[in-house]
Amino acid sequence: MPSSDADIQNVDRLIHEPSRLTIMMHLYVVESADFQFLQNQTGMTPGNLSSHLRKLEDAGYVEVTKEFLDRMPHTALKLTRKGREAFKEYRRNVKRFIEKLPE
Amino acid sequence: MSYHQDGLLDMVIGLYALSFGLGIFADKILEFGFAAIMPAIMISIVLPIWIYAKRKITMPRIGFVKFGARGSNKLFAIFLGLAVAGLGVAMAFGVFMATGQNGTPFWLEILFQYLFQYGMIWIGLGAAVIGSLFAYTMGLKRLHGYGFLTLALFVSGHFLSIPFEYLLLTIGSVIIASGAALLVQFIRRYPLPKGASANAIQ
Repeated sequence: MPSSDADIQNVDRLIHEPSRLTIMMHLYVVESADFQFLQNQTGMTPGNLSSHLRKLEDAGYVEVTKEFLDRMPHTALKLTRKGREAFKEYRRNVKRFIEKLPE
Repeated sequence: MSYHQDGLLDMVIGLYALSFGLGIFADKILEFGFAAIMPAIMISIVLPIWIYAKRKITMPRIGFVKFGARGSNKLFAIFLGLAVAGLGVAMAFGVFMATGQNGTPFWLEILFQYLFQYGMIWIGLGAAVIGSLFAYTMGLKRLHGYGFLTLALFVSGHFLSIPFEYLLLTIGSVIIASGAALLVQFIRRYPLPKGASANAIQ
C-alpha cells in the first residue's frame, strides 16, 4: 500500500465522522465549553449532539462534567489528554495525505 | 463567535466615557472633583452589573466557554505595557512639575509644551492606538472604529475649539448606542433556549 494511502487508512474513524470532527475541532481550540455553546456552534440538535458526545466520551476523548449552576443543570465538556493527542494525530495524518496530492 | 458580540462591552466603554464627560461637566458647575472620582465610581457600579448581565443575558444564550491562557496573556501584556507607559509619562510629568522652569531639561520642556498644546490630538491618537491594540488582541474589529472615531472627534475638537467634555459625551453616547444596537441584534439572533435542561446533556 503506498504511504499516502496508509496515512488516510490510519485516520481515527471515530473522529473522522463530520459531526464528531466538528465537536473535536471546537473543543480543541478552547479549554472547556458547555453543551449550549457546542450546540450553537455546530448547529446540531440536542439529541444528536448528546449521542456523538457519548461516543467520544466512551472513547475517552471527551470529559463530561455535570453540575448545577443557579439551580439549572449544566454540562461542561473538555478534551482529555488522550482526546487532544488523538486529534493531533488525526490532523497529522490528514495533512500528510492531502499534501501528497498533486495540484 | 465572540463572547463580546452582545454589545455589553461597548456599553461599558461608552458609559465610562460618558461618565467622565459628565464628571468634568459637573466639576465646572459645582467646582468639585467629580472627574477624579468618577472612574472609581464607575468601576464599582458598572463592573458588577456587567458581570451580572453576562451571566443572565449572554451565558444562557450562547453558552459558556473557557478560552485558554493564550488570549489572557496577550491582554495582560497590553495592560502591563500601557501601565508602564502611563507610569513613565506620569514620572516625567512629576520631574517637570518638581524641577520647575529652571531645572527641567530642555527636551522635556519642549515635549510637554507639545503635549499641552496638542493635548486633544495626543488623546485621540492614544485612543486610536489603544483601540487598535485591543481590536487586534480580542478580534473585535469595531474597536478600531471607536478608536478612529475618537481620533477624528478630538482632532476636530482641537481645531474647532470644542470643549473636552462635549467630545467625551458625544463619543460615550455613540458607543453606548452602538452597544445597545448590538445587544438587541444579539437577543434576536440568540433567543433563550426553551426548557430548564437546555444546557444539560440529554
